[in-house]
Amino acid sequence: MNFLDDLFERRSRQLAQRSSRRGVLKQLGGLLVGAAAVPLLPVARAVAAPQAAPKAPKEMGDESDCDYWRYCAIDGFLCSCCGGTKNSCPPGTEMSPITWIGTCRNPADGRNYVISYNDCCGKSSCGICLCQRDEGDRPPYRSDKTNDINWCLGTASAVYHCSTAIVVGVALDKGAK
Amino acid sequence: MRKLGRWWLFALGLLTVAPLGAEEFNAQRARFNYQMSCQGCHAPDGVGASTVPRMKDFVGTFLRSRAGREFLVRVPGAATSALGDAELAEVLNWILLDFGGDSVKSDFRRYTGTEVGALRKSPLFEVDRYRVQLLAEIASNTMENQSHD
Repeated sequence: MNFLDDLFERRSRQLAQRSSRRGVLKQLGGLLVGAAAVPLLPVARAVAAPQAAPKAPKEMGDESDCDYWRYCAIDGFLCSCCGGTKNSCPPGTEMSPITWIGTCRNPADGRNYVISYNDCCGKSSCGICLCQRDEGDRPPYRSDKTNDINWCLGTASAVYHCSTAIVVGVALDKGAK
Repeated sequence: MRKLGRWWLFALGLLTVAPLGAEEFNAQRARFNYQMSCQGCHAPDGVGASTVPRMKDFVGTFLRSRAGREFLVRVPGAATSALGDAELAEVLNWILLDFGGDSVKSDFRRYTGTEVGALRKSPLFEVDRYRVQLLAEIASNTMENQSHD
C-alpha cells in the first residue's frame, strides 16, 4: 500500500509543480475551442439545413420583355406574350416536365435564383417575343445544359410553342461553400 | 511536455464531436446540385417523366446488390456530370435520403467521394437494358432470400 501512497504523492507533487490553476482553465478552454472548431455531426447538419422551399422572390421588370431578369438563359418565345405567363402555359398547350435549368440574378434583391425553363408544347411556334439570351448555354456535348435542342420532351406532342421561366429555388452561394 | 499535453487535450475535443471518416453532408448544397444537374429530367421530386426512370420511393432498390449500388454512380448522368467526386457522392446520398422512401434502409452505407471517384471511371454506355437486367436479378435474389426465411 505504501507503494500506492508514494506513487500518488509523487504524481500529485509533480502535477502541482508543473501546472497552475490558470493552466487548467487554459486547457479546458482549448478543449472547448477544439470541440467548437468542428462542424456538427453530419446527421444533425442534414436535419438542420433548410429545405430551401423557394420563396416568391421580389419582382421588378416586365415579364413580356426579353430583358426581364428570369430570362437570362432563355432561348425561345416568351409565353407571357403568347397567352400564358412567366409561370404558366397558354391554353391548349402542355408544359414539358423535362426542362433546362439555370440560374439568374434578381436585380430586386441581388440574389441568384434557380430557374426552370419549362417549354409549352402542342401548338406551333408562338412566333412573337423571341428572346435569346442563352447565358450558361453549353454545346450539345453537355446535353443537359444546351439550348439548341427541343425541350418538348415528355409531353404528348413534341411541337414547341413558347417558354416559361419558373423560380424553383435559391442558388447556393458557391463562395460560402 | 506541457505543450504536448495541451495538444492532446485539444485533439480529444476534436474526436468527441467528429466521427472518424464521416464526410460532410450539406443538404442545401446537395439540393442545389440536384437542381442544376439532375432535376431538369428527373423532376423536382424525383418522379421522372416518360422515358426518365422514377427514383421516388424506388431508387433504394438498387442498393440491394453490389452491381446496383455501382449502377447509380455509373449511369451517364451521374458519372459524366460536372460535379466533383465528393459532391456527386453527396447528391447520391441526398437523393436516397430524400426520394428513397421505404426503398432505402435508414442505415444504408453512404457513398463516399473515394468510392464514387473510382466507379465513375467506368460509365455505362448502354443503360436501359442493363437496368432491366439488374432489377430482374435483384428481384430474383429477393425472392430467393424470402423463400429461405
